[in-house]
Amino acid sequence: MKAIILMVALGLSVPAQAFDFGNIDLGKAVKTMQKIKQANAEVSEPQEIELGSGIASSLLGAAPLLDHPELQRYVNRIGRWIALQSERPDLPWHFGVLDDADINAFAAPGGYVFITKGLLARMNSEAELAGVLAHEISHVLRKHHLQALKKGARRELMADLANKAIKSKGGDKRLSKLVSAGTELYARGLDKEDEFESDRMGVVLAARAGYDPYGLPAVLQTLQSINPADSNLALMFKTHPGFDKRLELLGPLMSPALDDWERQPDLNQRFATLIGSGK
Amino acid sequence: MKRLIAGCLAFGLCASAWAAEEAYTIRATELKAKPYSDALTVLTLPARSKVIVLQRRSSWNQVKSGETTGWVKMLGLQLARGATDRRADNGLRSLFNVARSGGSGATVTTGVRGLSEEQLKNALPDPGALQALERYAADRRAAQRFAAQGKLQAQRVDYLAGGKK
Repeated sequence: MKAIILMVALGLSVPAQAFDFGNIDLGKAVKTMQKIKQANAEVSEPQEIELGSGIASSLLGAAPLLDHPELQRYVNRIGRWIALQSERPDLPWHFGVLDDADINAFAAPGGYVFITKGLLARMNSEAELAGVLAHEISHVLRKHHLQALKKGARRELMADLANKAIKSKGGDKRLSKLVSAGTELYARGLDKEDEFESDRMGVVLAARAGYDPYGLPAVLQTLQSINPADSNLALMFKTHPGFDKRLELLGPLMSPALDDWERQPDLNQRFATLIGSGK
Repeated sequence: MKRLIAGCLAFGLCASAWAAEEAYTIRATELKAKPYSDALTVLTLPARSKVIVLQRRSSWNQVKSGETTGWVKMLGLQLARGATDRRADNGLRSLFNVARSGGSGATVTTGVRGLSEEQLKNALPDPGALQALERYAADRRAAQRFAAQGKLQAQRVDYLAGGKK
């Protein structure tokens, strides 16, 4: 019997009348196989971008953009330059500084990356900002949010999206539900392993972009010094592995592997001028 | 006196970028004369030694231990609790000022908005803000020009393997 299911799965035609199926419902088996195939279907890039723009719009509903065009353009140039060194250089990348004192950064599928004013205010250099943006870019590159949605309560809707059962234009309610689920991920967090992976990729992307690769660990060290009772860190603590653990894992991986790129610039002056503290 | 005040102001500005911050060694750590592994070891600091961080240069921090100044590996240190709070004061003050002088009046925070768990769950889309975001996007050429201005050069670097889980 297994052989028949296998043949069906492989798409070989099996004349139904040629076999005695006993209690096995061949139609059901075929449907099961189709379902598995559908569940594993990948969301296309345009669908990813549309879902991501919906999630980004909701995030902007929670925290507005900082009204500082010069700084917004600055962050976009850094982000885009880093993304150009990645395996997805031509996504429609967007970067934004959120006008919120909370200390955090976010990514959404399709190339959306946000950093809060509260986190930016703790930084010392462009290399530190680059390290954080590169960590978030890595979530997009590895499609961590899409993977989380595929594993979550809305996995069937994700399959519908991938199989084009959801019409993208025209306000399909199922797409709104996916957008809500995607936004809620910011309150729940990704797998710890996804965070560690983005740390590992982030420091390399920063090095590829010509920055001192130690910007990200320097930021983690800064965050480690903030009183854990600080309410601005509550969401970060809830949704990310501890800073100690992240630094403990990164340190030995970075040296000696990235020693050759240690002397790259951190552009602390350009950063200070933009933030305003250097004026 | 004027010169003194000017000097203090200048120092204050420097300090806002690189404030002297208290830290502790998390293990026995060599204090080097220069930020290189093969530089002269000035002294060995035992674990939990208090130092003042003067600046960071990549994986090295310049620190002051008592009267001695030298370089230690950044990841051999942990910043003291609250050591970076002053940075936030400086940084946020300038960013808040910017927001206030922005003049659009659109950035007034209402009780409904924010990044708490509850607020994220109830967030409503803001297509206008998404459109505003679009205006700031950088194309490939703008990004390359910006990198060149900062003397940033693209490098070939392999991703790091996983390491222990």
